[in-house]
Amino acid sequence: MKIKILIIIAAAIFALGIVGSILVLNAPEKDTAVIKRDNKILYTIDLKTAEDKVFDIKYKDSKNTVEIKDGKIRVKDAECPDKVCVKTGWLSSSAVPIVCLPNHLVIEFASEGEIDALAG
Amino acid sequence: MKAKRLAELGLLTAAALIIFIIESFIPYPFPVPGIKLGLANIITVYAVYRYRAYEAAAVLLVRILLGAIFGGNLYALVYSLAGGFLCIAGMLLLKKVIDEKHLWLASIFGAVLHNTGQIIAAVILLGTPAILAYYPFLIVSGCLSGAFTGLCAQIVVNRVNSGQ
Repeated sequence: MKIKILIIIAAAIFALGIVGSILVLNAPEKDTAVIKRDNKILYTIDLKTAEDKVFDIKYKDSKNTVEIKDGKIRVKDAECPDKVCVKTGWLSSSAVPIVCLPNHLVIEFASEGEIDALAG
Repeated sequence: MKAKRLAELGLLTAAALIIFIIESFIPYPFPVPGIKLGLANIITVYAVYRYRAYEAAAVLLVRILLGAIFGGNLYALVYSLAGGFLCIAGMLLLKKVIDEKHLWLASIFGAVLHNTGQIIAAVILLGTPAILAYYPFLIVSGCLSGAFTGLCAQIVVNRVNSGQ
């Protein structure tokens, strides 16, 4: 009996995970991207007006190569073991940031508060 | 601790370590950190069910520490420790409710708890809740990989039982 309840709980967790994943993937794009390290904003980029460019962001002995092209942003290359940030590809969902754990780097669409701060 | 028991635990740790290191060579195409099969979990689940709590915890701890050193991935150590701690704590508690015939279920909860620990560590370390967006994907992957490794552990337990 207890087992049945636990199986139902596990199934519910799994279903919630799938629903959550779909919601996250469908979160809309925005125009302003921010590049952060340890919750401090390093760069703010208006993707609508930004020129295409490729630049490096250094962290200790390591670095990430960020590319901006056609109003999109991605990590082109990284000096880290897993390259998760590179595999994430272009930033396309406001809920899925590009994250490089080894280099403490996060690239995401700016949240409301951050856009207000820029305007002010 | 008797020498035989110590030798068994050493063997389990070595097996887990080998599985862990071989698995680290498999490239995963997913853009979400933390999604993996977690095959070494087979040994953890087995140890939880066949050994005392502190023995299972010791096997896991030594495997995580040595795995980080041998795998050359020290930055991931904090995540592994946070995930491993929640995972084994949860499974040791669930063991009281879930019998050996259903240990795959304990494994699913263990895997999801492992991912939960990792996400909590990431939120704290990176100082941004934005990474929580990965959590739904990790839950789905945790359920699938937990079920898979749990079934593997189930087979191991059944074989060992029929051999005794």
